[in-house]
Amino acid sequence: MNNISVDINHLKKGEVNLGTSIMAVTFKDGVILGADSRTTTGSYIANRVTDKLTQIHDTIWCCRSGSAADTQAVADMVKHYLELYEAQHQQPPSTHTAASVFQEICYTNKDNLTAGIIVAGYDKKTGKGEVISVPLGGSMHKQEYAIAGSGSTFIYGYCDENYKKDMTQEETIQFMRYSLGQAIKWDGSSGGVIRMAVLTARGVERLIFYPEDYQKQ
Amino acid sequence: MPGLAFDNYQRNNYLTTKGYGSPTATSTGTTIVGCKFNGGVVIAADTRATSGDIVADKNCEKLHRLAPQIWCAGAGTAADTEMVTQLIGSNLELHSLHLNRKPRVVTAMTMLKQHLYKYQGHIGAYLIVAGTDPTGAHLFSIHAHGSTDVGQYQSLGSGSLAAMAVLESEWNEKLTKEEAMKLCSDAIEAGIWNDLGSGSNVDLCVMEVGQDAVLYRNYLTPNVREAKTRSYKFGRGTTAVLRESIYSLVEVQEEIVSFKSAAEAIEVDA
Amino acid sequence: MSDPNSINGGSAVAMVGKDCVAIACDLRLGNQSLGLANNFEKVFQLGHTFLGLTGLASDVTTLSETFRLKTNLYKMREERTIEPETFANLVSSTLYEKRFGPYFVGPIVAGINSQTKKPFICGFDLIGCIDFAKDFIVSGTASDQLYGMCEALYEPNLEPEDLFETISQALLNAVDRDALSGWGAVVYIVTKDQVVRKVLRTRQD
Repeated sequence: MNNISVDINHLKKGEVNLGTSIMAVTFKDGVILGADSRTTTGSYIANRVTDKLTQIHDTIWCCRSGSAADTQAVADMVKHYLELYEAQHQQPPSTHTAASVFQEICYTNKDNLTAGIIVAGYDKKTGKGEVISVPLGGSMHKQEYAIAGSGSTFIYGYCDENYKKDMTQEETIQFMRYSLGQAIKWDGSSGGVIRMAVLTARGVERLIFYPEDYQKQ
Repeated sequence: MPGLAFDNYQRNNYLTTKGYGSPTATSTGTTIVGCKFNGGVVIAADTRATSGDIVADKNCEKLHRLAPQIWCAGAGTAADTEMVTQLIGSNLELHSLHLNRKPRVVTAMTMLKQHLYKYQGHIGAYLIVAGTDPTGAHLFSIHAHGSTDVGQYQSLGSGSLAAMAVLESEWNEKLTKEEAMKLCSDAIEAGIWNDLGSGSNVDLCVMEVGQDAVLYRNYLTPNVREAKTRSYKFGRGTTAVLRESIYSLVEVQEEIVSFKSAAEAIEVDA
Repeated sequence: MSDPNSINGGSAVAMVGKDCVAIACDLRLGNQSLGLANNFEKVFQLGHTFLGLTGLASDVTTLSETFRLKTNLYKMREERTIEPETFANLVSSTLYEKRFGPYFVGPIVAGINSQTKKPFICGFDLIGCIDFAKDFIVSGTASDQLYGMCEALYEPNLEPEDLFETISQALLNAVDRDALSGWGAVVYIVTKDQVVRKVLRTRQD
C-alpha cells in the first residue's frame, strides 16, 4: 500500500475512449444530466451518436467518462446491486446510496479502472435533485453541479460564473447547452450531438440538441 | 480441465526475453458491417484471412451463428472470434433451453461483453452482433475490451473506415431489405478494394423478424481466379523415390453372433 | 530467425485430389543453421487421419504424443478411429486451450472421411484457428515458397499418381529455396482404403 503512485490516466492499448464532455446540474425542480456523443479509438470516431447517460435506477442516472468498457461494466454492476438493494429494503435507493456503490467499486479497483462518473438523481421525498461526482481515484463529492471529462477543462470558468441556484428548467437547459456547446467546440475528443436527461417529479425527459441547435447563439 | 491453461506462459516469456519474438496468429484483417432495415437486420463480411502480409485463407467464413436467428460478424484475432463465438453460442443455447424461450440479442451481447471484459482486451475479438427475437430486430457492436455500441448501422475491422464512408453517405432511415443488402455488400466491397487487409468475396446474412435467418455464403464473388490456360502436371515417375511402403487402411473383423445366444446373453437376472 | 517457429526448421504441405489426399513433409531437424538430424518426420498417422506438425521441434514431439494419447482414448470410447473433421476440431480446441501460452506449431490435417468418403484437409495457426481449404494447405519455414509452388502447380481432381508428382515437386522445389528445410522428404498418398508412403530422393545440402 506504500507505492500507490500508479498512473491511472493511461488507457489500455487500443481501448475505446469516451473523450467526453459531461455535466449534471441541480435546479429548482430536480436535476439535469448532459453529455456530448463522441467515442473515439485513437483519432477515429468509433461512434458519433453515443448515449453516455445511463439509467441506474428509476430516478437515478449517471454520466460516464473514461474507458467505455470500464464505465459500462461498472454501471451494469451498480444497476445490479441497486436492484438487489430495492428488493431487500422494500424501498428505492437514494442517489447517495447509488453514488456510494459507484465509489466502492471505483476505489477498490482504482488500479484497473479508468472511470470518471457523475451520479445524479431525483429524490421523490425531498423533491430535490442531487449531484455527486465520483472522479478517477474513487473519491466522492456532493456538488450543486458537476462537470467532468476532457472537454470540461474549457468551461470551468464559464460554469463557475454563470451557474445560479434554483434556476428554472428552461434556464438550466440553456446554461448546459451553451456550456457543453463550448466544451465540444474547444475539445477535439468531444463532439456530435448534446444529449440530456431531465429528472423531475414528472419522471424522466430525454432531450437531444443537434449541432445547428447548440452552435448558434 | 476446463478453461484456459497457462502452462507454457513462463517458457514463452523466457524465450521472448532471449530475443525470440512471438509468432503472429491469423488475423482477420477484415471489413465487417451491419445495417438495420424495416423489419430486420443484415450483416456482411469479406472473406480474407491474413497472417502478417500473407493471405492465409482466400475464402474464410467470418459470419458466425450464435443462435438460429442471432448471427455475428467477427474481426480481429481469427481464433478468438471463432472460439468466443462458439462458447457464447453454446451458453446461449443452454440458457434458452433453461428458460424455454428463444434467446434475445441483448442476452448474446451481454454474455459476450462480460466475457471479453473479464479478459481485459487480451481476447482480440471485435464483433458485430445482430439478430431478431420476440422484442424485434437488433444491432450491436462489441470491442475487444468489452464496450458495446448500439446503432442503425455499424462497421468494424481494418476496412471499417472505407465501409463507414459508404454507410455514412448511402444510409437512410427507410431502407427496404433489398436496399439494406445492397448497402452492406457495397460497404464490404469498399473494404475489399480499398483496404489491404480485406479482400476476396462478400458473405451476407439477413435476419427478418419472425423468420429464419438466411445466410448468403459468397453473395458476391468479384475476385474469381482466372482458369489456368496450361497444365503444370508432371509426368508420372518424375520424382525419384527411395523407398515405398503400402498399408491397408481397412481392417476387417468378422464375428458371427446368432440371435439366440445374443438374447440369452442379455438376460442378466431371470 | 528470432521466432521460435524457425529455430528447428521444417515444412509440410497437404493437397486434395480426386477421391484422395496427399500430405508431405521434409525430414530436417536443425539448430538454427546447423543440421542435426535427417530423419525427423513431421507427419503422424492417427488411425485414418494424418497430422502434419511444423514449428518448434519440442512442441512438435509434445503435441504429436498428446494427439496420439487423445486419439487412442477416443478410439477406446467410440470403438472407431477418429474422422479427419472431428480431429480438426480436437486440434483446434487443444491449441486454443493454450491461448495465452501457445505451442509454437503450424499443424495441418489430411484424411478421407470413412463414412462419406470425402477428402478433407485443413490447416491451423498456433492458437487453433482452422483454415478450411478446398485445394491445398501449407505450413512451416518454407510456407511462403510453398504458397507460390502450390498456387502454380495445383490443379483440381488429380489422380493419386499425378497428385503424388504435384505435391512432391511443390515440396521439393519449395524446400530447396529454404535453408531451414530439406534433408529428405516423405509423402503420404491416402485413398479410401489404402495409404502409400514414399520416401523421396532429395538434395542433401
